[in-house]
Amino acid sequence: MSTSSSTKSRFELTRDDKPIAIAALFIVVILIAGTIYTLSRYGSMPLLTPTYLIQQLQIGSYLGIIAAGMMLVILISQIDLSVPWTLAAGAMMATAVGGPWALPMALAVGLIVGVVNGFGVAVLRIPSMIFTLGVNAVMRGLMVAQTGGFAPQTKATDLMRFLAAERSFGIPHAIFVWILISIAMVILLKKTAFGRSIYAIGNKEAAAYLSGVPTKRVLFIAFILCSTLSSFAGLLLAGYSTKAYQGMGDAYVLPAIAAVVIGGTNILGGRGRYLGTIVGVILIVLLNSVLSIMEMPEAGRQIIYGAVIIAMLLVYGRGEKATS
Amino acid sequence: MSHSSSDDFLVMKGISKRYGGVHALQDVNFKCARGKIHAVLGENGAGKSTLIKIISGVVQPDQGIMTIEGKPALYTSPSAANDAGIVCIFQELSLMPDLTVADNISIANPPRKYGFIDQAAQIHRAEELLAEIGCEDVDPRLRIRDLPLSRRQMIEIAKALGKRPKVLILDEATSALTSGDVEKVYAMLARLKAEGVAILYISHRMHEIEALADDASVFRNGRHIESFAKGAKSNDEIVQLMIGREISAHFPPKPAARTTKPLLEIKNLSWENRLHNVSLSVGRGEIVGLGGLDGQGQKELLLSLFGVLKRVSGDVVIDGKPHKLTSPREAKAASPSIALVPEDRKTEGLMLPMSIAENLVIASLDDLSSGPFVDDAKVSDAVKSAIARLQIKIGSSDDAVSTLSGGNQQKVVIAKWLMTKPGIILLNDPTRGIDVGTKQEIYRLLRELADEGAAILFYSTDYDELIGSCDRVAILYDGRVVSELEGDRITEKNIIAASLNISAAGHTAGHERAHHG
Repeated sequence: MSTSSSTKSRFELTRDDKPIAIAALFIVVILIAGTIYTLSRYGSMPLLTPTYLIQQLQIGSYLGIIAAGMMLVILISQIDLSVPWTLAAGAMMATAVGGPWALPMALAVGLIVGVVNGFGVAVLRIPSMIFTLGVNAVMRGLMVAQTGGFAPQTKATDLMRFLAAERSFGIPHAIFVWILISIAMVILLKKTAFGRSIYAIGNKEAAAYLSGVPTKRVLFIAFILCSTLSSFAGLLLAGYSTKAYQGMGDAYVLPAIAAVVIGGTNILGGRGRYLGTIVGVILIVLLNSVLSIMEMPEAGRQIIYGAVIIAMLLVYGRGEKATS
Repeated sequence: MSHSSSDDFLVMKGISKRYGGVHALQDVNFKCARGKIHAVLGENGAGKSTLIKIISGVVQPDQGIMTIEGKPALYTSPSAANDAGIVCIFQELSLMPDLTVADNISIANPPRKYGFIDQAAQIHRAEELLAEIGCEDVDPRLRIRDLPLSRRQMIEIAKALGKRPKVLILDEATSALTSGDVEKVYAMLARLKAEGVAILYISHRMHEIEALADDASVFRNGRHIESFAKGAKSNDEIVQLMIGREISAHFPPKPAARTTKPLLEIKNLSWENRLHNVSLSVGRGEIVGLGGLDGQGQKELLLSLFGVLKRVSGDVVIDGKPHKLTSPREAKAASPSIALVPEDRKTEGLMLPMSIAENLVIASLDDLSSGPFVDDAKVSDAVKSAIARLQIKIGSSDDAVSTLSGGNQQKVVIAKWLMTKPGIILLNDPTRGIDVGTKQEIYRLLRELADEGAAILFYSTDYDELIGSCDRVAILYDGRVVSELEGDRITEKNIIAASLNISAAGHTAGHERAHHG
């Protein structure tokens, strides 16, 4: 809250800023380590070229959009594990209808999944970890049935190509899309009653409810936004890789959660800044990329990747909320 | 049984226990004898439960010694106390609902065969113990979940008997029992008494104590006041012993008695089996207290008025218009709006890790927003004026509310609700665990709010508070309003008598107002 300037005059990091600073520092470490490797191996510094960095940001923008939605859900002490097949379904349904209806179709898929998730969690009170996992399986079944019966169109439309893959002034449009969504997220979390309610619910749902916060409505909206952002990211990814395919979302759920948590959002909800999620996304994308440049075998990459996530969680935010 | 010096079986000397700055027990000397039932009496917070916890090894005293048959007997864990023959039956059930009766009875020490639990022996053992308390009809293979509440409490008692107690403590253990089961417990207690067990009996039901106890001890404010044999004191004298403390808080003067237009009318409110046909009205400018022992439906009454409980029957009329409130949000939107200061400020009142400012505005975000956007300037003004009005002592309004003292935290909860400009204010024991200075500020504030036209309904476990700050007090017992006291009839004696649902000083509970004068 920005009601007082007394804390800003002191030069110190607040509780929420510390993980962001650590993650940012780690990004620098990754870049330096990668550059030392390329210098010694090839005598060049490709990691520090604008082309490389912009390309990483483009790859990061798809993950970033998913992580934005995931962050909303994590902030209210929930989780959305239906992301992979919501993403795939959004992409597959969009390419299947094609033409001008591709974008509305993707958003509609997200909306429907979000309503179902919201209903399960807010009304039926089923733990989101189980409910969204079940929804993920259902979505997968629906998509397999959809492609099994007949062969739908899987080619990306021109709009999808425009949004996800094309560039203006040398900068991919996907990055602009991510920036727009990020600005909306910051406004949503910082400037609206909805944003305040999100943090309140994540900290103590009972207290928020007894203060007259419309907890059910907030839960619904958070799940709807998360699913819609996922299916929209699916549309972009299909545009980027020119087609939609089954399983295209499977590689995104863990990195999205990891990006949110590495950015300092408490996995138990109630705390975290959106800037942290952006930093977390960049960290994960760079880590992946540098490990592959270093020709680390897949097994080693997975181990390092997982170890980094665990190590970051140990450094900050470990079960702090459990004590209060 | 030949225990000649049976009088000093369990002896406690100079026992003190503090929680933070609060003396739960102070220099307590207490003893009880074998083969006798000893009743422990006192108000809420008198120190009875701390006493039991010390005897049964749940907490350790700061000072003092305890002996059994002259040997030191302060145990550091409940299981050590169990092994020494000290067994406690609590009101809160300690049974595992998904295990069978037999499993539960032998949970701590099941009979074994080749290292594995011997099911047959376990069932046999359960059957024996159930027979001892007259519950032969219970099948030990049934799951606890499938038994009615009274039967579960009986299983709890059978489980305790299985530990072969030398000292048996019953803490409100009969409150869940049907009258048939109570008879069986009485018979069992008589038999244990004859076998030389020392029995400590805690109950708020005076007639049970009259029927059962051989001796009684009264506790008050953490001190042991007096022990006496049954029949040595009348009910009136016992109540007087339980009260007899100096009034320490100062209260703002009450206005002269006057008739006020009811702002909140409750008619025949019932909910599950916790509230039964509660009717009550609170006038504009009136402070009405809710009294009675803990857990007699006061909390449920406040929650149902705030729209938290589902399937409440009866009518709530606000300013002449009937309302069906189904959520706190609707209660807040009613006209005039309703506010609730909840029981537990740490889990229901506040989001502890969030800032003071964020906590203060969470209930009035709608008023502080233009469209979907929160107006930072309005928020900042509102926060400043709320902090000033309640004189909340803070460093910065950006600090986490968890950094404040209990009294200041409670002020934040109250200030949060005053920001919504409520016409009806419900408070659930708002001064519990806060310092005397802040308490007095809260009393003054409540009177100010009432003078400004608010209707205030106020549950308190502190009788002084009810007497000092309320225009009228309704006493609840078992989900019913058993008595309404007004004017000088609001005395500690009348409140306690009504709380225990016994008649005191020749007045019948329930029709106090008819006797005025």
